[in-house]
Amino acid sequence: MRLQYPANIKIIRVPCTGKVDIMYILRAFEKGADGIYLVGCMEGECHFKNGNLRARKRVEEAQKILNTIGIGGERAQMYNLSSAEGTLFAQIAVEMTERIRKIGPNPIKLAKKKIAA
Amino acid sequence: MIIADKKPIEEIIEEIKDYNKILILGCNECVTVCEAGGKKEEEILASALRMYFLNKGREVKIDEVTLERQCDHEYLEEIRDVVDQYDSIVSLACGVGVQFTAEQYHSTPIYPGVNTCFLGATEKRGLWTERCQACGQCVLARTGGICPISRCAKRILNGPCGGSTKGKCEINKEIDCAWQLIIDRLKALGRIDEYEKLFPLKDWSTDRAGGPRKVVREDLQI
Amino acid sequence: MNIELLTLSEIKEVFGKEGNFQVNVTRYPRYVDTEKCIACGICSEKCPKKVVDEYDEKLTKRKAIYVQYAQAVPLKYAIDEANCIYFKNGRCKACEKFCPSSAIKLNEEQKDFTVKVGSIILSTGCKAYDPGSHDIYGYGKSPNIVTSLEFERMLAASGPFGGHLVRPSDKKEPEKIAWLQCIGSRDVHLGARGYCSSVCCTYAIKEAMMAKEHSKEPLDAAIFYMDIRTHGKDFEKYYLRGRDKSGIRFVKTRISNIVPMDDTGKQLIRYIDGTGKRIEEEFDMVVLSVGLEARQEAIDLADKLDIKLNKYDFASTTSFEPMKTSRAGIYVCGAFESPKDIPSSVIDSSAAAGLAGSSLAESRWSLTKTKDIPTEIDTSHEPPRIGVFVCRCGTNIAGVVNVPSVVDFARTLPDVVYAEENLFTCSQDSQELMKEVIKEQRINRVIVAACSPKTHEEIFIENIVACGLNRYLFEMCNIRNQDSWVHSDMPEEATQKAMELVKMAVARGATLHSLQEKKISINQRALVIGGGVAGMNAALCLADQGFDIILIEKEKQLGGMAKNLISTIEGADVQAYLNDLIQKVNSHFRIQVLTQSLIVGFSGFKGNFTTEIIVGPGMYERKIDHGVAIMATGANEYRPEEFLYGRDKRVITQIELSEHLKKEGAEELAQVVMIQCVGSRNESNPNCSRVCCQSAIKNAIHIKKLKPEAEVYILYRDIRMYGLLEDYYREARKLGIIFFSYDQDDQPTVESSDKGIVVTFQDHVLGRKFRVCADLLVLSAGVVAEDTEEIASILKLDRNTEGFFMEAHVKLKPVDMAMEGIFVCGTAHGPKLISESISQALAAASRATTFLSRSSLTLSAVTACVDKDKCASCLICVRSCPYEVPRINKEGVSEIDEALCHGCGVCASECPAKAIQLNWYEDNQIMCKVDALLKGVL
Repeated sequence: MRLQYPANIKIIRVPCTGKVDIMYILRAFEKGADGIYLVGCMEGECHFKNGNLRARKRVEEAQKILNTIGIGGERAQMYNLSSAEGTLFAQIAVEMTERIRKIGPNPIKLAKKKIAA
Repeated sequence: MIIADKKPIEEIIEEIKDYNKILILGCNECVTVCEAGGKKEEEILASALRMYFLNKGREVKIDEVTLERQCDHEYLEEIRDVVDQYDSIVSLACGVGVQFTAEQYHSTPIYPGVNTCFLGATEKRGLWTERCQACGQCVLARTGGICPISRCAKRILNGPCGGSTKGKCEINKEIDCAWQLIIDRLKALGRIDEYEKLFPLKDWSTDRAGGPRKVVREDLQI
Repeated sequence: MNIELLTLSEIKEVFGKEGNFQVNVTRYPRYVDTEKCIACGICSEKCPKKVVDEYDEKLTKRKAIYVQYAQAVPLKYAIDEANCIYFKNGRCKACEKFCPSSAIKLNEEQKDFTVKVGSIILSTGCKAYDPGSHDIYGYGKSPNIVTSLEFERMLAASGPFGGHLVRPSDKKEPEKIAWLQCIGSRDVHLGARGYCSSVCCTYAIKEAMMAKEHSKEPLDAAIFYMDIRTHGKDFEKYYLRGRDKSGIRFVKTRISNIVPMDDTGKQLIRYIDGTGKRIEEEFDMVVLSVGLEARQEAIDLADKLDIKLNKYDFASTTSFEPMKTSRAGIYVCGAFESPKDIPSSVIDSSAAAGLAGSSLAESRWSLTKTKDIPTEIDTSHEPPRIGVFVCRCGTNIAGVVNVPSVVDFARTLPDVVYAEENLFTCSQDSQELMKEVIKEQRINRVIVAACSPKTHEEIFIENIVACGLNRYLFEMCNIRNQDSWVHSDMPEEATQKAMELVKMAVARGATLHSLQEKKISINQRALVIGGGVAGMNAALCLADQGFDIILIEKEKQLGGMAKNLISTIEGADVQAYLNDLIQKVNSHFRIQVLTQSLIVGFSGFKGNFTTEIIVGPGMYERKIDHGVAIMATGANEYRPEEFLYGRDKRVITQIELSEHLKKEGAEELAQVVMIQCVGSRNESNPNCSRVCCQSAIKNAIHIKKLKPEAEVYILYRDIRMYGLLEDYYREARKLGIIFFSYDQDDQPTVESSDKGIVVTFQDHVLGRKFRVCADLLVLSAGVVAEDTEEIASILKLDRNTEGFFMEAHVKLKPVDMAMEGIFVCGTAHGPKLISESISQALAAASRATTFLSRSSLTLSAVTACVDKDKCASCLICVRSCPYEVPRINKEGVSEIDEALCHGCGVCASECPAKAIQLNWYEDNQIMCKVDALLKGVL
């Protein structure tokens, strides 16, 4: 299919979105990531029954924390896709990139630069 | 088990925002089991705080340690060597742990990271309910194993009161009337006649009314 | 390794007999060497010839060199000779010129050869009915009249409109869409087929629901139907969701003609509604729910194989041998047997494989290929020595990504001792060279930067295992599908991303350590739970393959629900069959039957279960060790509480009527009323019981044959005579059986009187009440699951709300259960006919064979591991595991049995003490990638 999407997206493979610890999300932002999203199976079709539902809850929890500390919860998202939806995958990559562009870079990066300067 | 709930991060931030070297101290007992203050919660809080301070343009040292229990001196000793490196501690233990830690380390200000709620049980994951108020004079033998002190809003011993409607408490329709439960249980046990016996006045001196309490066991001491 | 796939091949002749067939095959040229083709797609990109794409239902174009669809197996290109320019005029060869792996073989010739086999399984499938052969549907007259298959492609995200639901004529979003059911099915007119295609009602509901989800504006979706046939397991609930939640309109009427309105692109549909009113409605689009029919190729093949077809050209089979064709050793599965859906086809296929396996049991393993694996080298004390192999994939990667600079970059990364680029890392010669490099450089972690691990990881892992490395010392990063292909217009960014992906993979590589895969022995005995038709068939199929079986039955006798059945609708004698089956089971030296047995305990894991049972009136205890278990606990006829059942003996069920007809005939019967859906499709049991329509029609026909002047009334909601059963429905109407439909909320009422049972019901056509005084009122009572609450809790098996056991995957694993090594069949899984129970039983036996035929099983090492010292015994892993694997052991800490763990990692991410790690996906093995990627960002 080879639909083009922005190159700023790097994929990390996990056996199930249920394996994605909330700490993975938080720590990535701590290290300077601008945005993170999880792509799981369609709801009700999790290969491991309900890992994707747990993942969604964790993303929601991470969003709350990120909002509280001024990083912006919108930077973390959860999507559900089937393996036959390559087009949507590309659309989501574009959507996510646009979303992050709008919000701007991870504020920690700017703050850190200020400290250094 | 002691049931605690996580304090909102903003509340914790408000307390510690002026410090520069913070130790987050988790506890591997009750607060781990009720998912409020174990290793995982400690990591989440530490990460969130690091990000908060960085975002405010401050590089604050935030470290994490989980103790087996914060309500025992011996476990608290494990941080003796490092505690001087910090200008404050956020303890994720229950109120007991927070105080015990504070007693052990007088010179470091300590802040609670959880709200200690009650003595209770896990009904299912994500739902904990109260079962005991530690009154010091257990009456469960006479109430079919259902505690009127912790489960009746009025803590009455000869219930139910006039506010009991259709088995529910007048303060909230979702709360079962403890005395309805007691009566049902005694009936099921074939002991309903015991319900007729009036409770004598309860000696509340072992409850909070007598001030801070202690349990002394001479047989265990030398 | 043990499946040889012959594509583009045709059977010319078959000689010999069961156990020893000689099959003459002609293989037509693909013109592409499948060994060399890497499916990069450059040939297709460069091919100048555009051809209408049949896969996209002719809505888009493909090239003359192509793969049919993205998931095609094998994923190799092929030249469509009829359209290729080279084959027309001898010039072009663009594909040959640009193919980076020299895979094009334009001189390839047809090959004739012979294969020797013991059994043959026909799975030639079916095709969709072509509505163009009937001009009344206007198909072809307006682009906005489409078939359901075309609509399916239109909805697909990878389809011609990218998943945007638009009207083909003007690409505007439709506001109203109509689905017309039974196009080419249940129709005896010229060109159409008399049977029901079984799948169209459910797929139309699915399409309408999806169309509603796809539309921005509220979409009016209407399905015009004769009977809604959602008889599959849990499909009725799906229908209700479509009707009540999604708001699909269901209109009971058959549309005989569509008028395209040229000026608006809309189609006019005229119909008479339930109240008899004439209605005209215009729709933006009309979807024709086309049926299924036998393929001409399959008909020709049947002729060559000398097997019988039925009048609709499907392979002819019998009620009790649903997978056997008329020629011994040749089996059929899927829609060449009759129109059926995916789960039924998958069940059939396993069943056919099971029968073939029984017939070939003696020669099992005689032709099987295996691989030699060298002893593993212990690298645990060595520091990481990482080798990085970057694939150019011809020009697929190298055409966009600057591969040499990625290799140079890799050399600078920590622990990397070697890096190189390959034209194709997956090619045989590169693999051999890789082996040498690994040995020479003493590499102990291998990173391949190439394409998708989904297709290639196993190839590389096999290669490193051949070097003596542990298979978990491997990491792959995808710089093709996730990089060069999708960022082809920005080579600089793509190169940068490739470097970052390599950096992440190398970081992970350094954290990997060897993991030992546990080998467990398999107890080659099966436990079959339930001695009905399903359980006995499963037991026999396994016993015939040489496995020992213990069959336990809670009743005194074998037979189950079939003991009450007289004959099938086709006229086959159930009792004769059952007696024969029981006799075979009882006399089989490999089957031990334990009646009056109850399960009281269960433990273990796939290959090694132990079940405790209490046997017989003596209640003696017995422990059975077994490798697999088959659940065949069956179901019962619902005992009605409605319609005076049990209060008036003239009210009986269909099973009781069968007995009555057998014993007393129909001489006394002048008027009989039957009520359908008693105990089904209602609030307490929302599902359809699948078999009751055919029971009613079977008995009604029987009455009419015994006594033609008797009047039989069938009060129904939808007649669900799916598949070839439809013929019996037509026969019933011809015989004068009278059908009245009733609404769920306007049920018939019944009263006892001296003369008979007075049944009153509403007739929709005449719009008035009818009253019949019946000699017998027959209730088509539904199917209720056997009470398996206790057994389910002992074995930890999932059931749906109606008490039927749940399969691991509704479509793909219809006989496996979530716990590996346990299978389900027959009515324990859901209501079904005897023939369907038999095929599912054979399927369960066949799936069980995949365990039993091996002496041992190697488990994946990707399982969760508990650090005892950190565990707070909080029970959170116990509560969050989707398979109930963790338990708190005697030491008071969590223990996760690696034989039971599925490796999803949920427990590890939920553990509040961080005491659990998932092997190969440990926290630092994942987070090191994030750290590597973001290094230097702050």
